[in-house]
Amino acid sequence: MSRYLARRLLQMIPLVVGLSIVIFLLLAAAPGDPVDLLIFGNPNVKAEDISRLKRLYGLDQPLYVRYFKWLRAALHGDLGYSRIYKQPALSLMWWRIGNSLWLQIPAFVLALSVALPVGIYSAIRQYSPVDYAATLFVFFGVSIPAFWFGIMMIYLFAVWHPWTALPFLEWLKLPAGGFSTPGVPEGLARLLDRLRYMLLPTVVLSLLFMASFTRYTRSSMLEVVRQDYVRTARAKGLSETVVINKHALRNALIPLATVVALSIPALFAGAPLTETVFGWPGVGRLLVEATLGGDYAVAQGIIIFLSTLVIVFNLLADISYALLDPRIRYD
Amino acid sequence: MAVIAAHRPAVEEVVSGQGYWAIAWRRFKKHRAAMAGGIVILLFIAAAVFAAQLTPYEFDQINLYNRKAPPSSAHPMGTDELGHDVLTRILYAGRISLTVGFTAAFVSALFGMVVGGLSGYYGGWLDNVLMRFTDIMFSLPDLPILIIIARYIGGRVDGIIFVLSVFAWMGTARLVRGELLKLRTQDFAEAARATGASDTRILVRHLIPNSLAPVIVAATLTVGGAILSEAALSFLGIGIQPPTPSWGNMLQNAQDFIWTTPWLAIWPGAMIFLTVLCFNFLGDGLRDALDPRLKI
Repeated sequence: MSRYLARRLLQMIPLVVGLSIVIFLLLAAAPGDPVDLLIFGNPNVKAEDISRLKRLYGLDQPLYVRYFKWLRAALHGDLGYSRIYKQPALSLMWWRIGNSLWLQIPAFVLALSVALPVGIYSAIRQYSPVDYAATLFVFFGVSIPAFWFGIMMIYLFAVWHPWTALPFLEWLKLPAGGFSTPGVPEGLARLLDRLRYMLLPTVVLSLLFMASFTRYTRSSMLEVVRQDYVRTARAKGLSETVVINKHALRNALIPLATVVALSIPALFAGAPLTETVFGWPGVGRLLVEATLGGDYAVAQGIIIFLSTLVIVFNLLADISYALLDPRIRYD
Repeated sequence: MAVIAAHRPAVEEVVSGQGYWAIAWRRFKKHRAAMAGGIVILLFIAAAVFAAQLTPYEFDQINLYNRKAPPSSAHPMGTDELGHDVLTRILYAGRISLTVGFTAAFVSALFGMVVGGLSGYYGGWLDNVLMRFTDIMFSLPDLPILIIIARYIGGRVDGIIFVLSVFAWMGTARLVRGELLKLRTQDFAEAARATGASDTRILVRHLIPNSLAPVIVAATLTVGGAILSEAALSFLGIGIQPPTPSWGNMLQNAQDFIWTTPWLAIWPGAMIFLTVLCFNFLGDGLRDALDPRLKI
């Protein structure tokens, strides 16, 4: 196991370096470098000013020199400076990731707490009405465009909200988007205010996780309940609860652990579409804005951070697999 | 996830003497959701092809005297803020979405087959290089990268198709590689080699056709995925550009008017949802029909 780990860790290095080169080239070769964007629409800038600026920012140097300079700075924790937000890219990125986690973590927890019981029940009672409903739900969840679902929720809860005519449902009118109401005092009031803004985007995000987790739980459980040792457990007279909880479930959760580990990087990636629909200042929306606005230091930092995270969690998923399932040996 | 079909292999299928495709078709017919999905997709294709005959309006025909009109008999889906007939734009947008979806699925299936084929058949260092490349492509967060690349393309349909294909071939490559690893040591491949067939002939005539089932299923699911991605890019304003209608850019436009004309947001999103849902049903049905053990 330790040799396998060492090999995998070593393999990660060229993978991350390769990724950073590809992403750097993609962004550096994009039409319009930072100076072009800076002087765009300003007729007073002369040609010598442009070349002076390009020299100042090092944009006249060959791409490989620029890449190594960027790499050195990045390894020292300097991702550059955001052109749009006028602050260091790294701290901007952390702040936005923090905002994204406000939505992602509750969505993730909600998804798991629905998907596990539904997936298990639907596998135990295969072909039952609940199973059909769950399967249909999974198909709907993976097919629905999150941005449309978000807009429909905004319409329902922020624009139309017919139920507010009822006295006990008056409070169920939610903001159409944004992050918080200005001027709400610190403390509990602010938290409650934030919850009202979080509710709709969390539900929308959660649906996507929920659909795929339900699907994996169900198929993994289905595979396990057909195994001989489950039949043996039943045959020796164990109660159905013990058979399911102690024998089947524990094995069915192994592949699910992998799926969950692999979805964790997505938490940090934010949700470009959902965050855009709800005007949530998360990292996904930051990436969209940075890309559209030519804020390459930010876009580059975010993408390389996310890709590295994906690679690391791929490894963690493989390790968790080996730890949970003694039949799997790496060497 | 084969519940909807509830397929259980029956004995007479094995002894009926029918060919592989006839058996597959019989199984497919039992999958009601997939049949329904297939029929709806055929209807949508027909509607997209005959868009010009189905509606008296042009997709870029504006009428400032009839803006934001609610659905009526003249405009079954209403009109938008410039007086475009929404139904007309939905139909023409369907042309683009379906073209993008089918072409991207075809191109990525082809590319995945080439990569997976080379990797699985030759093995060794080539397999190592190709599979590490596939790993890199898999580990890229696709939507963010799509957003970056889409900037280069500036809303051209062929560019969008290319970008979506670049991020959709990896699954097929892995599936084909896995199939080939199984197939290449089997007797029929050995027999072909013994008769002196070239590598290309063995690959193209014997191995690839036998690994086609997962490719077809993956490609069907890719059509839906590509339609969803195109809609997402257009929704963010970096995909298909107005005045060319696309379900994604219609939806982006409609979000601004959610307070006054909510129906503008309903139609394009419902079309994306329905189309993607049908392709997912179809893919599920094809998987059950062609190879029920397949895990996609």
